[in-house]
Amino acid sequence: MTFFNFKKITSNDPDLTFAILLSALVFAFFSLYEPLFFNINTGFAIMERFAVLGLVGLALTLCIIAGEIDLSIGSNAALSAVIVVRLTDSIGAPNAILIALALATTIGLIQGFFIAYLKVRAIVLTVGTLMLLRGITLFAADEKTVMLTDFDIPDFIQEKIFYIFSPASFLVLGLFLLVALFMRYTKYGREVYAIGGARKEAVASGVGLKRPMMIVFAISGLCAGIGGAIIGLRSGTAQPLGLQYLLLAATVAAFIGGVSVLGGKGGVVGAFVGTLTVNFLNTGLVFNVTPAYIAQMYLGGLLLVVILFQNMSKVYEDKQQRQLKLADTDSFRQRLLKSLKA
Amino acid sequence: MSAAADSKRSASFRQSTALAILKQNGLNIFLAIIALVFIGFAITTHNYLTLFNIKTIVRDAALVGIMGIGLTFVTLSGNFFLLSMKETAALCIITFATSMSHDYGFIISLVGALAVAMVSGGLQGLLIGRGGNPIVVTLGAAGILYGIASWWSDNLVISFRRPNDAEWLGTGSVMGIPNITITFIVIAILAELVLRKTSFGRQVYLIGANRAAGKATGHENRSMAIKVCMIASVCCAIVAVAFSAQMSSAQANYFSSEFGSSGDFTILVIATVMVAGNSIMGGYGSTLRTSLGAVFISAVDNMMVLQGYNSGPRVLSVGLMIVFSILVFAYIRRDNRSEG
Amino acid sequence: MTNAPWLELKGIQRHFGSIKALRGVDIKINRGEVLGLVGENGAGKSTLMKIMSGFDNGFTGDVFVDGSLVELGSPNKAQALGIAIAQQELSLIPTLSVAENIFLGGNHGPTIASLSTLSNLARPFLDEVGLNDIDPKMRVHRLSVGESHLVEVARLVAHKPQLLILDEPTAALSETDSERILNMVNRLKENGKSVIYVSHRLDEIFKIADRVTVLRDGASQATKLASELDVPNLVTLMLGRELSDMFPPKNLDRQGTSAFKISDLWPDGLLSPISFSVNKGEILGLAGQLGSGAGEILAAIAGSHPVRGGLITDMSSGQSFLPKSSKIAISHGIAYCSPDRKHDGLFLGRPISENLTSPNLKRISLKGILNTSKSDSLSADIAESFTIDPSRLPHEASVLSGGNQQKVALGKWLSINPGLILVDEPTRGVDVGARAEIYQKLVELAESGVSIIVASTDLLEISELPSRVLTFYKGALTSELEGSKVNTDNILKEITKPESFLQLAGDAS
Repeated sequence: MTFFNFKKITSNDPDLTFAILLSALVFAFFSLYEPLFFNINTGFAIMERFAVLGLVGLALTLCIIAGEIDLSIGSNAALSAVIVVRLTDSIGAPNAILIALALATTIGLIQGFFIAYLKVRAIVLTVGTLMLLRGITLFAADEKTVMLTDFDIPDFIQEKIFYIFSPASFLVLGLFLLVALFMRYTKYGREVYAIGGARKEAVASGVGLKRPMMIVFAISGLCAGIGGAIIGLRSGTAQPLGLQYLLLAATVAAFIGGVSVLGGKGGVVGAFVGTLTVNFLNTGLVFNVTPAYIAQMYLGGLLLVVILFQNMSKVYEDKQQRQLKLADTDSFRQRLLKSLKA
Repeated sequence: MSAAADSKRSASFRQSTALAILKQNGLNIFLAIIALVFIGFAITTHNYLTLFNIKTIVRDAALVGIMGIGLTFVTLSGNFFLLSMKETAALCIITFATSMSHDYGFIISLVGALAVAMVSGGLQGLLIGRGGNPIVVTLGAAGILYGIASWWSDNLVISFRRPNDAEWLGTGSVMGIPNITITFIVIAILAELVLRKTSFGRQVYLIGANRAAGKATGHENRSMAIKVCMIASVCCAIVAVAFSAQMSSAQANYFSSEFGSSGDFTILVIATVMVAGNSIMGGYGSTLRTSLGAVFISAVDNMMVLQGYNSGPRVLSVGLMIVFSILVFAYIRRDNRSEG
Repeated sequence: MTNAPWLELKGIQRHFGSIKALRGVDIKINRGEVLGLVGENGAGKSTLMKIMSGFDNGFTGDVFVDGSLVELGSPNKAQALGIAIAQQELSLIPTLSVAENIFLGGNHGPTIASLSTLSNLARPFLDEVGLNDIDPKMRVHRLSVGESHLVEVARLVAHKPQLLILDEPTAALSETDSERILNMVNRLKENGKSVIYVSHRLDEIFKIADRVTVLRDGASQATKLASELDVPNLVTLMLGRELSDMFPPKNLDRQGTSAFKISDLWPDGLLSPISFSVNKGEILGLAGQLGSGAGEILAAIAGSHPVRGGLITDMSSGQSFLPKSSKIAISHGIAYCSPDRKHDGLFLGRPISENLTSPNLKRISLKGILNTSKSDSLSADIAESFTIDPSRLPHEASVLSGGNQQKVALGKWLSINPGLILVDEPTRGVDVGARAEIYQKLVELAESGVSIIVASTDLLEISELPSRVLTFYKGALTSELEGSKVNTDNILKEITKPESFLQLAGDAS
């Protein structure tokens, strides 16, 4: 299957190649620096982290591909976590999860609808919904940290399966696969790329904004919901004002994975690699007992480095394009001179 | 050109003018209605319309309002928002308190905080002016700034002695009006004057209205982004200094989630800019609107406190205000915007 | 196959307020026919095309498809009826592949398919437009401009339309790519499709059109068989004598001192560097089709277009400078009005008065503080001299008509007291009345000593306004016309000459 054709990836997709190299670099660095890093338990920890960060990274990647961004993703996840934790006691974990997911997805759908229908930029709208959802979460949690009464209920999602995986991470990997297939092989996935890469042209070609936008934000909501649910169940608690760190981490992951602020570029594979890289970094820093704010500092710096790199490569690309055009002009001139002499 | 054609022309001019005026003022009409509704509630809430309460409202609006005014420059010039406001304030407050705790005095400490603000603002503005997306750049900068602030202070509280020469700002007052409120009013007036009466202010509007046309007439965003980011950061510094003066101390997380009940200080600042009708794409609006927005949000919050609501509904109402204002303004302006 | 036309429009009228864009248009096209549609700027071509493709509903008149009366309510409806339009601006997604672009938007493609499947499905449409050698999996941003245009048409063809409207399809294309387009049109005709071919390139019209309809000032002139016409007749039909009244009389002597000298300017897109000079009070014209180099030279002088080299000398001060940015040009008193005023000529959301003073804030301020009376008097003066109603000054620029907007876009430059005004397409999208006012003003400015360089694809404008014209074709200077030699026939000939033309590299005056 050409999906994993290595040679094709390196030649066609320099951004992805860069991402994979960076990922490998970070992993190697921490493995050498901290011998305990390179072991199965660490692998498990990484995959567990990946279960949440990967979801949010995937969601943000899709949003940025579509030319937008979802700043409310942290708040949506926090709401989900609170709902799951509060309702598990009364109606059982599976039902609580279902309700939380349904709510999160609906929130996403509504946001996508308004963005497409009123032509509001997502950057603007999600600033508001970030706050709005936080208020709802505070309300739902009665302003305090909520806790499960029976901490054994959710253990099932953390069972170790097959060395480093768990039901949670398997679920997330499955979701990645589904979304990847969706983006690559369906008309709807292509529409998402279209409205991101060249929105005016896409609309002029007859691509409606509503469908791809609602799909993308629904997926974003769903991912936030699942992520929040996993975190809530795993720790047995949920803070109404928590999970805000997810936004920066997911944004860095998305950009490492190759999205561009201009939209239309990137993919699920990139999201996967980018998230892994951020995970390696986070886990490695935890190993060194670095406080959370230092990790955020590294992530912030990494983000700036990545977009600086993207900017430089765009400048380089533009230069190349200009050289090509100039070469065209010159060769045309040569041909003319030849035909005049003839 | 015949007289008949002339009068026909001016008739259709007048027609389109009337519609244009309605469109231009549709925004203000809508806001006026909201204000009236609010006043209705105000009259019916006990203890609300007292001098003391009104002073409280304006004072509570001061800190958010000053940062909002700074951010307004960024928004009006078409550079969207900065997501690094509260982190800039965090670094400035640590700078200020550290300096005060070494007894360098108010002036030097203030200068230190301002310098930090100008450098961090200038750097962000540099990246944005060269084409960086403001959201992404400031998201990254936020992480870095907060990290530096926490790291420098070891995440501890820094206190400085009382009495000190910063107290006048934090807790002092003149004729019953807190100095912080006076600062807010002075900055609000100053900012509005700059925007309306200086060529710099005119440039802000022009570049915000149409960046390409601005470039064609000699006004580049490259330098404007640096300037407005510096202004916004300086406002963050002023707020940081004022707050530190109030508490005679500082910690990196003073502006984080736990600040007030607002849930997220940066978003609250953005709210003050958006709620009163400034155009998010730039080129339309004013710091007067932002000041009123800050007071309005404070007024609503105050009313909710008086009516006994907890932080949840209060955060929710701010969020609702933002979302509602976005949707309404987008609807009113929908004809003026192009795709993408 | 009946003899009735496939599409017929009768008595089409379209007004925008008091401006009559279309005063009465009758047009019909049969199956398997190519209809050429020609007309000058402002004749109503784009309005008519918007109506035909369903993008504009505000017209009166009847539309018949295959003999029955229809409502072209929306673009989707028009497409469903079998009408497709290829605009001048491409609507391809550069980051997607050719195949994906072809099946984007609409229900004619499969919902679930791999890239390979889409490529195979796209093949026949690519063949139909002559792109047999292109890999459908290739991303669009790697194609040449000509190939992109062909892919755009392939995308339309995939909807299986009966009528294809092509708006200036070869405007920015090379000779070979233009040939491909023409071949494609013939192929479509052979397959029984109908094509409306809109173009300024009259030579192309004669190569492929069966009949030609001329639009002039919003009304259709009688449609003729292409075989009954030749270029001069066509031009006469397009222009009409009464339109010449728009232009003030020309000052034909080229006296006066040199004002600006352009030395070895080499903008991207020009085959070789060019040198010329313009005198005080002279109106110099640069004639040429889109991509010929005329527009590029103007933008380059203003610092808005990349150049490989070149020097501009202000003869009155003796200073020479490199045209690196618009700021530099403005500081030397050079004003540039681009062809797209909506994009960078106007601040639509700001008051007209602010627009008019925008290039020179220094003049209306003292030490950074704006001076209201200076600002008011400057904007009032400019408004008056450009016949803009001064009572409208506080209104947003967006409320103005196209003609008045162009006056603002042009007029604002008076605030810098320019020595040189560069204007590209001075009356694009402007009604006849405003056109006359703009021409009058330009001539007045020239008489007061300002040098003006005009670039335009409007044949009448470029032959009636300037006293001297440089003609361009495909990036090279083809001739310099002066005095009585400046007329539509000569200019048309020089901007559409075949490739064996004479003046090249270093031969410009």
